[in-house]
Formats: sequence, C-alpha cells, structure tokens
Amino acid sequence: MKTIAVIFGGCSTEHDVSVITALASVIKPLEMTKRYKVVAVYIAKDGSWYCSERLKDIKLYQSGRLDEFLAREPKVKLDINGGFGLIRPGKLGGKSLHVDLVFPAMHGTHGEDGELMGLLEMANVPYVGCGVAASAVAMDKVLAKKVVEAGGKIKSTPWTWFYDYDLTHSTKNVMAAINKLEYPLFVKPAHLGSSIGISRIEKESELMNALEVAAHYDNKILVEQGVENLVEVTLPIMGNDELVLAQLEQPLTKPEDFFDFDTKYMQGGKKGKGTKGAQGYSQIPADLPKELYKKAQDVGLGVYLALGCSGIARVDMLVDTKAGNVYFNEVNPFPGGLYAHNWAKQGISNVELVQKLVEFAEERFAKRGKYETVFSTNYLKQF
Amino acid sequence: MKALLSIYRPRFVVAVVYMLQSEEYRAGRYLAWLWRTRDFSRVMIRRQLILTKPARLLLRSLQAGMAVEYVVSLLLVYVAWHHQAWGGVILALILMAATPVIWAHLIVAPLIAGRWFVIKPRQWGKVRQAERIFANHSGAKIAIAGSYGKTTMKEILAIVLGEGHKVAATSGNKNVPISHASFARKLSGDEDILIIEYGEGAPGDVSRFARITHPNMGIITGLAPAHLDKYKSVAAAGEDIFSLADYLGGKDVYVNSDSHALESFIKPEYVTYSSKKVGGWSISKVNNTLEGLSFTMKRQGKTIEVDCAMVGKHLVGPIALAVYFADEMGMSEDQIKEAVSHLKPYEHRMQPYQLNGAWIIDDSYNGNIEGMKAGLAMLKELKATRKIYVTPGLVDQGPEEKPVHLALGEAIKKANPDKVVLMKHSVTDYILEGLNGYGGELIIEDSPLDFYTHLDKSVAAGDLVLMQNDWPDQYN
Repeated sequence: MKTIAVIFGGCSTEHDVSVITALASVIKPLEMTKRYKVVAVYIAKDGSWYCSERLKDIKLYQSGRLDEFLAREPKVKLDINGGFGLIRPGKLGGKSLHVDLVFPAMHGTHGEDGELMGLLEMANVPYVGCGVAASAVAMDKVLAKKVVEAGGKIKSTPWTWFYDYDLTHSTKNVMAAINKLEYPLFVKPAHLGSSIGISRIEKESELMNALEVAAHYDNKILVEQGVENLVEVTLPIMGNDELVLAQLEQPLTKPEDFFDFDTKYMQGGKKGKGTKGAQGYSQIPADLPKELYKKAQDVGLGVYLALGCSGIARVDMLVDTKAGNVYFNEVNPFPGGLYAHNWAKQGISNVELVQKLVEFAEERFAKRGKYETVFSTNYLKQF
Repeated sequence: MKALLSIYRPRFVVAVVYMLQSEEYRAGRYLAWLWRTRDFSRVMIRRQLILTKPARLLLRSLQAGMAVEYVVSLLLVYVAWHHQAWGGVILALILMAATPVIWAHLIVAPLIAGRWFVIKPRQWGKVRQAERIFANHSGAKIAIAGSYGKTTMKEILAIVLGEGHKVAATSGNKNVPISHASFARKLSGDEDILIIEYGEGAPGDVSRFARITHPNMGIITGLAPAHLDKYKSVAAAGEDIFSLADYLGGKDVYVNSDSHALESFIKPEYVTYSSKKVGGWSISKVNNTLEGLSFTMKRQGKTIEVDCAMVGKHLVGPIALAVYFADEMGMSEDQIKEAVSHLKPYEHRMQPYQLNGAWIIDDSYNGNIEGMKAGLAMLKELKATRKIYVTPGLVDQGPEEKPVHLALGEAIKKANPDKVVLMKHSVTDYILEGLNGYGGELIIEDSPLDFYTHLDKSVAAGDLVLMQNDWPDQYN
C-alpha cells in the first residue's frame, strides 16, 4: 500500500481554509479509496511541521487546544535524500517514514505559490497539482495576466499594478495609472487567494483606503476595472495532457456584494441562495447562453494551457453578458475543497477525484523521469 | 489480547449498561450479546448510553459491586500471602481477574427478578384490561401479521382508510401485548376501524395477540426467515402467523400471494392480494420510478387510477389491498384517490433522496430477504450512470443464516450493480460466496458508520445507491 502525505496548514492567511480542504476533501476521500496509507502533515502558522494521526481530526482544531497539543508533539524533520521522508524524533532514535506521493493541500503563500512544489521537485517525489512554474505564475495575479495576455487571444479587463513602495514614493504615477481606469474598480493583493484583502470601490474617495488594505497583505498591488453586465464564473479543470472540465459555476452574489472571504467561507453563502459554506453559494451550471458558455470554457482551457497547469486548477472569469465578452480574471492552482461539489455534479465523486489527481501526479512524474537529467562531459577533468 | 483486556477498561461497565439499555433490559438477548462479543472496546459505535434512572442505578450498582469484589480479593490475597496459603493467593487472584465477567452476569439477576415479580404482574393487569377494551369495541378490528411488511401495510391502511373513516392504529413498530394495551387505553371507543400490528417473535405469539385484541379481519403480509432463534424454521414461523387465520375461522383473511413462502399456507377461503390482482380487481399499467408509483385498478367497469410518492413495485399489492378495503367500506372514488395521493415513502423504507446529484434509496429498515430481493429488483430496473449496492446482510436468521445470505449474494449478482459495498460482519463470507462470478467493483467496508457518515464523498451525479438494512451495535 502506497503512503501519501497530505501537507496542509502553512504560514499563510489561508491557513484555516487549507485545514478544511485537507481534512474534508483530501484526507478522508483518500482513505475511502482503501488504496493508500494517508499521513497528515500539518504546517503550523509558525512554520513548524508536525505529523500525527490526531491531526486528521477536525475536533482538535475546533477545540481551541491545538497549541497545547502541538507543544507536546515532536516536530518532524524532512529527509529529501532519494525521495521524501519524514523523521519523527523520539527517545529511541526516532521513526522515519518513507512517503511515496505528496498531496499538497495548501492555499496561499508558502504552499500554493510554488515554494512547496520546489521542495518536492528537489526530493524527486511525485506530487499532486500544478508544478513550480505554473503555481508561481498563477499565484501572482499580475504575472498570470501578463503570461495569459501574451498569447494575444485571451483578454483581461483594463488593469494596472505597482509595488507598495510605489504607493508611498511615486503616488502621482500610481494615481495617474489608476485614473485611466473606469470605476468601479477592484483593488487586490497580487499574491493572495480566497478573496482576502480585496476591495470593490465605487469612487475615488474610497481608493486610498482600499490600496492601504491591499498593501497591508502584499507588496504587489493590482487594480482592475469592473465589468458591466457582469456574470462572474469559475471553471475547475483537471488533467495533464488530456483535460477534463467540470461545470461552469456562477457565484450567486449581486455585483455590489462581490465574492469576498466572508461570503465564501464564513456566512455559508448567505449573500447568495446557498446554505452550505463554500459549496452552497453558487449556481451549477452557470446561467449563460450556450455560445457564451462555450466561449468561457475555451477561455478557461486557454488559460490552463498558457500557464502550464497540471493536475488541477480553477480559472475565474468575468463575463459581460451584453457585449458577449469573456475576460480572464485569475487562476487558483489549488482550488479550495478541490471544488469537489462541482465535480460531483459532473459525475465525479470526491473519492474518484482524489484518486484521479493521484494518478495525474504519478503520470507526470513518470513522464518527467523519461527525460535525461545527466549529461557526461570531461569538463571537470580538463579544468 | 487487546480484545481480552477490554473487559478491564473503565468503559466496560458503561458498555454493559449501554447494551442492557439497547436490549430494553431483556436478560436473554443481553446475555447472548455478552457471550458473543470478543472486544468490548468496540461496542458503543452508533450511540452512547443515555443516563436514565434505571441506567444510572445499574451503572452505580455495577461499579460498587466490582469495587467491593476487588477490595475483597485484595484482602484475600493479603491474608493468604500472610499465611503462605499459595492456593488461596491463586484463588483470590482468579476471583479478582474474573470480577468484570462475574458482575456482567450478576447484573441480570435484579432484572430477571424485577421482570417476573414487578413488571410482568403489572403488565398482565394492563393486558387483561386491554383485552376487555378490545372485546367491547364496536369498530372493525384489522390485525396485521407477517415476517415483514407489517408496519408499511398498517401505515398505508391507516392513511387510505383515514380519509373516509375514523381510524386508530398502533404506533410505529409497537407491536407486542404491552404496546397493544397502551394503544387500547388511548382509544376513545368511537373509532370505526382499529388497525393492530402483531410483532411475532416466538411460537404462540400470534394466537396470544389474537386472543387479546379480538380481531375480525386479518392481513398476512409475508413470510421470510426471521426470529429463527426461537422459531427454528420458516415453516414454524408460518404456522404461528397463520394462527391468526385460524382464530378468524378462515373468514376475512387477506394473504399476500406475492410472498412465495406463503403459498403452501393459502386456503381457498382466504382472499389473496398481489401486484396483479386483489379481490376481483385487476391491476395494470404499473409504473415505478424514483418519483413515485402509479397503477390502474379495474373491476366490473370501475376504474381507479392510483398515483402516489411511494417507491417500489412490492408496494403495489399492499396499496391495492388498501384501495380494496376503502372501496368495500364505502369510500368514494375521489376519496380513495385523494387518500392514496397522500402516501409517501416512510423513513428508511425505500425512501429516495438526493445527495450530491446522486439518488440514494434508503432502505435501511429492510430486514428480510424478500424485501431485499424486491429492492434489488428495483435497482436492476432503474436507469443510472452507475449503480451502487450497500448492505451488511441480515440479522436473526438462525439456522437459515447461510442459505439466506447465499441467496442475497445471488440476488445482488443478478441485479448486477456496478459497485457492491459489504459492511464487514459475520455473514459477509456467505454473501461473497453467493456473489461468486460477480464482475463489478467489490468493497468490504470495515467501518460502516464511517462509510454512511461520509457517503457524500463517494457519490456523484448519475449514481443510484441502494442501502439495505443496517446492523445495530448489538450485532457488531
């Protein structure tokens, strides 16, 4: 039986979302496949790594006694020599565990943004989800727009960006760039997901506050122009070469109640019609004319390919229903809860979903193994 | 070893009282569980002990009794050691080691005494009083007996006849004399119809129920292996069930001829009902979907279109019989149609619901092979992208345990679902033997509760899942 390590938590504003994704949508379904030994690897908010069966239990996190538990638990050490291993220190020399595959269930910085993937690449272990480059680009909204738009076929709404340094040292230039855009505007930290730090502003008087909020979370700030006659849609996609689409999903929020963290995770979607947290706030399939639905699917696929995504990702788009335009908004290289609710509507259960993701990871790993990584020369002898 | 040591865990005492409570303080069934169970750490899976007054009293008594025995044993060890009586030391140690086992048995003594000297006399009084109430009641008294389908038949009858008459029926599956007595005490006396369910469990039960409740009509719903620990054979159970017909002198006896095991008991004077006909009515155009059941009943130019939200072809017969009764009792066609339209699936009995876009048919109260076969036939018939069948098997099958589960395995194979999930129990191997040659995906699930709790994770749109029967903690 293969051992899969599910890594979650992390030093990110989306730490808590990651815990829920891991426990509800990854660990339990993986165990239900009856094919794997599943190990929970939790990265605490201070960056410490832990590995324990008890970390699979949501009650531990709900009880408020997590810190107390972690204080008693030994921190695990990583071994990346010839694979990925976990070493749990102990009085009798510790216990090491070889991991056959890693399932990162991280959201946000230091996990979803390619950092963890780099470590796993170094360890030469197969892992689920997008690779280093795709994760890094996708998690930088500015870079993602640049890469996608470079192809010339897919557009975003008018946008500009700058560093937080520019905000204080070149304020005039920043304002001049923003003034070229039409209100309403969306101000976003470039690297965060789960809608954290995002503001929707209607007038200039609200701008500075929104910029300061974004700058509080990130050094790179993105300002986008809103879309008229807007229908916001998102498309989960999975696969490496042969891609599988879920259904186009439409958050049920009014334009003025944009889809913030509170709406997504805290209110059970009460701004929309849903009732079950992140899974109850949207309409599946999105209510779009057939032609526009197809166009959005094509844009989603184009973005996935342009960024070189693999395993799974979710592409967010903005649709101007009157003009018939579909704009690229952003990409989530590791969708919250894997968007299992959407895949279920497509006939793929959560258990089958994680199974497929593991297979994609193994497929990509096997493919990469075919390429030569050693090149023999006598350069050193001649030096 | 872990299982053996489980009797020394502090939770053992709680587990013992929990099981006494689950078995409604019936000593025989409790002792059967006690002798069958190996690992007492895996007892309270589905529920927890509810600390009622009797439960608390038993818990405290057990704890106190065991504490006293431990102290006495220790004293004996000390005294024997002091006198170098090594045999005495060993004996005292054995006494100490056996404490949990001794008290798990001793605890039934007050229960047995209480049952025979307090509860039984009190119950006999109530039953005698009920017997007088039933004897003097002027309404039609319909008794329902059978190994399965009794509660469903009773509910259908109560709803359909209730549209045109004042009807009273025993509640839920309360179907033994003391619950009949409780039902009798609540009657106002002006009811047109009484519907009384008989829950047979041992030879002689049905005729005893009949003597208490004085029925003037009887319905026999089906015969299948059940309570064979007491009946020993299906034929003996059939004899007991048909003592209702004997009580009625063969008059106004209605027998489900869809139940093949009943065939040999049917006499010409009985009225039979089935999915094809009932008392001169023919049944046609049966349409069974997850949204409901519809069919047409015709007799001498009279036609009644039946349409309701219940699910399963096996319900055609019982619904048709209720329609027959309603017609015979003077209800109008409109009244009957209206009444039938109120029929809905009962909780955990062929109850369809949607989960993650999948259809789940919850048939977890189904506890007999005939009902299981009916559900499987429906699974085979309905269309779905993927069909999943889930069951732990059946309990209380006595000597029929192996043949019944072989038959279940064969029925599953015949229904040919894409996936079969068997909850691991003592009968799993028999089902697997019957499934020999099945080509779909087969999963043996070690933790049923975990599976049921996380069912949403293993189903998706297009799936059709049939879940039949669920074993309570007593059988784990």
